[in-house]
Amino acid sequence: MPDATPAAGSTKKPSSLKQSLRRVVQNQWFLLLIGVLPISIVTGLGNPRFFVKENLINILEQISVLGLVAAGATILIISGNFDISVGSMIGLSASAMAILMNEGINDVVASLIGILICIVCSSLNGFMSILFRTPSFIVSLATLGVYHGLALAITGGVIQTIYGRFEWIAKTKLLGVLPLLFFISIAGYLLVHFILTYTQLGRRIFAIGANPRAAFLAGINVELNKVIFFAVNGFLVGVAAVLILSRLGAALPSTGAGLELRAIGAVVIGGVPITGGAGNVLGTFLGVLLMGVISNSLNMLRVNPYLQEMIFGLLILLALAISSIRYRWFGAK
Amino acid sequence: MDDKQKILTLNHITKDFPGTRALDDVTFDLYAGEVHCLVGENGAGKSTLIKILSGAENSDKGEILLFGISYPQLTTRQAFELSVATIYQEVDLVDTLTVADNIFLGGELHNRYRVIDTQQQESITAEIMKRLNIEIDPSVLVGELSPAQKQTLQIIKALHRDAKILVMDEPTSSLGLEETRALMDLVRNLASDGIGIIYISHYLQEVTEIGDRITVLKDGKTVNTYERSHFTVDLLIHDMVGRDAELFYHREPVPIGDVGLQVQDFSRDQFVKDVSFDVRKGEIFGIGGMVGSGRTELVRMIFGADKKDSGELLLYDKKITPSNPKEAIGRGICMISEDRKETGLFLIRPVTENMSIVQNEQSRMFIRLREEFKRVSDMVDKLRIHLASLDQNADSLSGGNQQKCLLGRWLLSDAEVYIFDEPTKGVDIGAREEIYGIITDLARQGKMVIMVSSDMPELISMSDRIGIMRDGEMVTIVPQEEATEQRLINEYLGFSNSGEV
Repeated sequence: MPDATPAAGSTKKPSSLKQSLRRVVQNQWFLLLIGVLPISIVTGLGNPRFFVKENLINILEQISVLGLVAAGATILIISGNFDISVGSMIGLSASAMAILMNEGINDVVASLIGILICIVCSSLNGFMSILFRTPSFIVSLATLGVYHGLALAITGGVIQTIYGRFEWIAKTKLLGVLPLLFFISIAGYLLVHFILTYTQLGRRIFAIGANPRAAFLAGINVELNKVIFFAVNGFLVGVAAVLILSRLGAALPSTGAGLELRAIGAVVIGGVPITGGAGNVLGTFLGVLLMGVISNSLNMLRVNPYLQEMIFGLLILLALAISSIRYRWFGAK
Repeated sequence: MDDKQKILTLNHITKDFPGTRALDDVTFDLYAGEVHCLVGENGAGKSTLIKILSGAENSDKGEILLFGISYPQLTTRQAFELSVATIYQEVDLVDTLTVADNIFLGGELHNRYRVIDTQQQESITAEIMKRLNIEIDPSVLVGELSPAQKQTLQIIKALHRDAKILVMDEPTSSLGLEETRALMDLVRNLASDGIGIIYISHYLQEVTEIGDRITVLKDGKTVNTYERSHFTVDLLIHDMVGRDAELFYHREPVPIGDVGLQVQDFSRDQFVKDVSFDVRKGEIFGIGGMVGSGRTELVRMIFGADKKDSGELLLYDKKITPSNPKEAIGRGICMISEDRKETGLFLIRPVTENMSIVQNEQSRMFIRLREEFKRVSDMVDKLRIHLASLDQNADSLSGGNQQKCLLGRWLLSDAEVYIFDEPTKGVDIGAREEIYGIITDLARQGKMVIMVSSDMPELISMSDRIGIMRDGEMVTIVPQEEATEQRLINEYLGFSNSGEV
């Protein structure tokens, strides 16, 4: 922090070029957008099927589930928390829903129960992190195993097929083109955006993430709110579980495994600092989109699937490198 | 000074930041064995100058002449190797290592098995301590030391690395009276050993006592450099603010009403013992005492931020004892905490959010951004907070403006009782007077004000009565007419008026 603070009206030196450059570079979304476009063009040149309608819709479907999970992760990471058990939660919830549906319980009721399971599981992570005064990252590392084991126990490790009775969500296309899945995902982003921008809860997310001690002295019940953040995350994860079940038409305990890390990756690529306190959901959306486009492009270009994992890892490193460069060159945060 | 060798000259240094010129053709020099003090308001360029010397920033123009060799600029590594050591306000030690380990950190001594030689490290540390007349056990963990001891340890660490130039940035800001004395003795000792010391402090009294020379910076320019025989506190203040001002603020008296707040029997362990007092409407109740006497603990308990063993709080004869800050705020009590960076501001969040957080907590679930913007910008104007935009993050403001933001947060929320813990710590003189004005205004509106302060002139000039804390007890309450620095110091230390213990 420079000792000298630019006071209002004391701006005499022209530094417009650097400043406008800074403004552009400070917006991570801008960088993400210029990432998505060339990749699309190159892929389109390599494989013309990339720009075919079906493929583009396919991309949107593919990123819907990740989008919901990443939207929830955005809230948690801004507030200084992590939940890495969401993949197991989805496996547990999807398995439970499939079993309930096969038992003859109404689809809607089963879905609501599925969502509720995720809300409870996620809130429990938040609650125990407070109870044991432990970072939520560690608590959810433990519950990751617990929830996965629970899913294995109720399914006996056997795949639970629901024989397509629930596939209308995944099959519905609005206006005959756009998948309903994608709209649900967008609704998730909008919900998070609304919370972050226009609600008291959103201010608490930022405040607690930026400085929990100051938040406490400003009259915020830090502990209760932490549980609420986890509950909101659980809700979004629960909706994702419903979508994934509808899309696959079956559930396994391992359904959703690995989503947690990809979601955190997308949030980081979207520019939320891993230390919390800042960020927005637009970045997360573009982070998810970038991951979806790259994943699809690699398939289209027939890149060895083993390399794909590596490329996602490198992508996250690239995102970190960009934030660090921004910080050093422009002092942007 | 003629017989002494000039070891450092910062020659015609200019440094620009976006939008401001932080340093404008500043020249500053230092002789071996002298204490050269640097004073100026926040934003005057002191820290920038120091950062250029320590290599943390590069100057745009000018040269650094160190031990006769000219450098256009320095890197942090070069500065270190050229024996320049900077001791920042933030303590830079590892709490989980011992005193000796900290001193040898990065240059550990090994025995023949290539294992760290703890014994030798500790005996060398003990030797340095002995030479400097310091009593700290080299084998104790740094986390167990007091802030003053940590400060001292940083100095020892620098000396161990053969520092010839020692830069101290506000070394006494977190120290009590006795500790400050001890630190200043140490600084004098070091200077007489031939080390050149650059000493930055807000406390002018301290600077005039310790400095061989004093340089005043204002708005990035050197105003004056005074020799020992020439400076006075008045002269320095005049240079710093560019007008005549006094250390003692003249506050206008306001009518005092009935008792509004009663603090009854607050206790916790040995920190706070059975403290009771009351505050009248329109009254400013000061709380003085040494650091560690239980002042901060007491007000935090009143605010519900810390647990207590016993204690009741009555507002207008109604029991309202809050058990957490949320309850306290709901009942019209607010507290502006001591450490604005650690427990006050959300540094990486915009000014708007910082200022409206408490009010948002009191309103509905949804926030009307336009109304919020209006309220906050009105308050920013009213308090004359200098900023480029309300979207600016709080960490980009100067200390005084940060403090005013915090005040604004609580003024927006409209409380009955205002608790200030060190309201002007790290705040420059101009902003200080404005803050005093705001506090006086609160009293005029019939609010009750409790003010903890280590700054004695501040305590004396602002308070209607001063409660003195010593070892967790409120030993006496001094009315304004009897409040003199001498009287207060005697009470702080436990001397009776006749001077006996």
